[in-house]
Amino acid sequence: MVVGELAHEKDLVIIGGGPGGYHAAIRAAQLGLKVTLIEKQQLGGVCLNEGCIPSKILTSAANRLNLLKESQEMGVGDSEPIFQYDKLRSYQQKVMDQLRNGVESLIKANKIEFVKGNAYFLSDDRIGVEGDEQYEVYHFKKAIIATGNKQQAINGVQADGNRIFHSRMIQAIPDIPKHLLIYGYNEIVLEMASSFHAFGSEVTILLEKENFGFDSSIEKEIKRILKKKKIQVLKNVRLTRATYSQQDLLVELQIQEENISLNGTHLLLANSGIPNTHDLGVERIGININERGHIQTNKQCQTSILTIYAVGDVTDGPTIAVKAISQGKIAAESIAGKLVEYDSYFLPKVVHFQPPIASVGLTEEEAIAQGIEVKIGQFPLASNGFATILGKKDGFVKVISDSISDTLLGVHIMGEGAIELISSGILSLEMVAREEDLRFPFYPHPSINEGMLEAVEALNGEAVHLPPKKNLKKVMIN
Amino acid sequence: MEVKLSDIGEGMTEATLNCFFVKPGDFVKADQPLVEVQTDKMTAEIPAPASGVIKELKAIAGENILVGTTLLILEKESAEPQQTIVMSPSNVNGRVMASPFTRKIAREKGVPIEEIEGTGPGGRITDEDVYRFVEQKSIPEKKKVKIEPPIVHEIFDINKEDTSKQDMIPFRGRRKQIAKKMVQSLHTIAHCTHFEEIDVSALLEFRSELKNMNRTITVTAFFIKALSLCLKEFPIFNANLNEEKEAIYLKKEHHIGIAVDTKEGLIVPVVRNVEQKSITQLHQELKVMTEKALQDQLTIKDITGGTFTISNVGPLGGSIGATPIIQHPEVALVSFHKTKKRAVVTDDDQIVIRSMMNVSMSFDHRVADGATAVAFTNRLAEFIQNPKLMILELV
Repeated sequence: MVVGELAHEKDLVIIGGGPGGYHAAIRAAQLGLKVTLIEKQQLGGVCLNEGCIPSKILTSAANRLNLLKESQEMGVGDSEPIFQYDKLRSYQQKVMDQLRNGVESLIKANKIEFVKGNAYFLSDDRIGVEGDEQYEVYHFKKAIIATGNKQQAINGVQADGNRIFHSRMIQAIPDIPKHLLIYGYNEIVLEMASSFHAFGSEVTILLEKENFGFDSSIEKEIKRILKKKKIQVLKNVRLTRATYSQQDLLVELQIQEENISLNGTHLLLANSGIPNTHDLGVERIGININERGHIQTNKQCQTSILTIYAVGDVTDGPTIAVKAISQGKIAAESIAGKLVEYDSYFLPKVVHFQPPIASVGLTEEEAIAQGIEVKIGQFPLASNGFATILGKKDGFVKVISDSISDTLLGVHIMGEGAIELISSGILSLEMVAREEDLRFPFYPHPSINEGMLEAVEALNGEAVHLPPKKNLKKVMIN
Repeated sequence: MEVKLSDIGEGMTEATLNCFFVKPGDFVKADQPLVEVQTDKMTAEIPAPASGVIKELKAIAGENILVGTTLLILEKESAEPQQTIVMSPSNVNGRVMASPFTRKIAREKGVPIEEIEGTGPGGRITDEDVYRFVEQKSIPEKKKVKIEPPIVHEIFDINKEDTSKQDMIPFRGRRKQIAKKMVQSLHTIAHCTHFEEIDVSALLEFRSELKNMNRTITVTAFFIKALSLCLKEFPIFNANLNEEKEAIYLKKEHHIGIAVDTKEGLIVPVVRNVEQKSITQLHQELKVMTEKALQDQLTIKDITGGTFTISNVGPLGGSIGATPIIQHPEVALVSFHKTKKRAVVTDDDQIVIRSMMNVSMSFDHRVADGATAVAFTNRLAEFIQNPKLMILELV
């Protein structure tokens, strides 16, 4: 320890400027706290600089491209659209810069002190920050850890940014791969598969598991669409090795005891990563972490040291920004003395696939496994007038309800507008809505929204745009 | 901090302290069980309200203690824990059947929403449920003065009794609770019982038809469905008399208690909303409830809130009639007795062999009269004698 070390006194220190950290910082400032935000790289974190935002620029471009191709029938455009990948990459950079500037000015406007550097806990109330040229020690009353997670080598296969990339390097892929292999098990797999497919790549998915983890109806539709796009999927794959030469990339795989090798040109590793707790000194000061390195927290996001909170990917659960944003605000509000709680029960799962997927609540299989007698209402967008106008007829809205109490249990949507529409589902579930609560309101006509209404009506065989069908109740058979 | 015996439901006033799981000097985590108490009808564990170190035990195992009594002293781990720390990922929690606004009220009132029973549509927890829960929690404190002092050292002391001439059964826990409830009921309700015999041949035949289709349904499921249909027509028997307010409240929901005989004595798990459930569902629930009763796993929620009770003593053998005691504050109770083959004279004066069952119905004569009760059992007999009639009542 440095002799005569002078510690700065701080109310609240937040480590990490990603969505969890900056939402916490701004909310805490709004509630009158003096906030210091420490970030070692760029504000916005993985979400803005490497994850959600850059990947969504690719998925949006893919969507536009597909849209243009489909628009000729409407008289819009008369030839194959031109696509310039390098132009998209500069647009990507521009958007990221714009959004980052936005966050930076909000941090300033809220009078949040921003410190750049690496943070390390010295004790349960002191933290050291190593900047480019100086080292400072902060004495804090409360702290929030929002350090996220990082990618790691998978079975010895290391992303090098040359031919092998991980999901944080999406914006660094220099050219459109001729044949892109995507390995992993998360939404990035589907998003990048459909995007690069739209850009002209041949795509092969090397799925780590049996399926993508959705409701069975969505899995079926994903399977159909991937088949239509001629995207090959290998299931239950374990990647063991990857090598590349000037032209080719070769991966060695294990599929149920069998060794297979496969050729491609580029490999994208889409895995969830490991929490950033190692370089932070949290274990040393006695914060409980689980066996996978996640910081354990309670509903108020407090760690086992009650004055230190943790939010986002550094904690257990899905690695998504929605969770970090909610937890960041809850931690800040809790510190400000508000009675708040985090509950992930209705955390939605969203994929910017072509077409998009959004899912919340129990899947049909989960509900049946819980012994609930369920009713299923499913409405294909092919029967929705507005989807027909748009020429976006893939997908459906599926709702699951408890046949005894009529309470809504889950909403699963695949198709145009799914991600916007899922909010109605989330809100309904949080309000403990029952069928009538969704049948009664008006739904704009014509719109994809009506898909939701008709799915609810289909629970009782009353969807107007579906032919009559016997409604079967499903129960678990012991 | 003092850890006290809190009311864990049903306005419980005292409990027997079975044992401590901890001793002074032990470090405990929040929610770790500290003490086992035997309450009205079940054993329960009192968890640690916070992490910390046990300083002192303030009660003695085996004693009967009042709600509010300090059990032990716990020194909390940290100076300012804002809430109970449960270090489990919050995403493994079950669904909370309340809107975010209602949940906020519960947080602000400092009550665990998971423990509140929802009375709203579909079991939803309403703002009122939260307020009611808060009120109920504070009642035992006010009432404390009125409670009789507990019988101290009522421990089964085998040395004091001459075991050669008599065996002693501890009169505590469930046995004592049963006694208390029975006396209270008899003191309050003007009991009146009448008997009826019902021909169950058609029902048994229908059951065996179902069995041939691989659907095994217990007769009790039919009985409670038939009862529920009758209660719809005679809601006076699914009611509640409040003499103070000079009002009889007719309940729309049929929560039917099923008397179950267990090793520990009589217990009455409640099948909720019978009026909304199919016979198959009732069969399933009966199975689950009976199993839970026999395994001693019923929760407070499982055994409270009944609006009508049945006692199916048939399977126990014997018994051709009884004068059952009504579960106060309910209004009526029906016992189903053993089914026997008997010679019956038909309308056209033929002697035939039929499967006959007796029922005994006790009702509160303050609330209803004999004629209504007879009309009720007549209707019940009609449903059981012609089970297909129940189809007409399907909604």
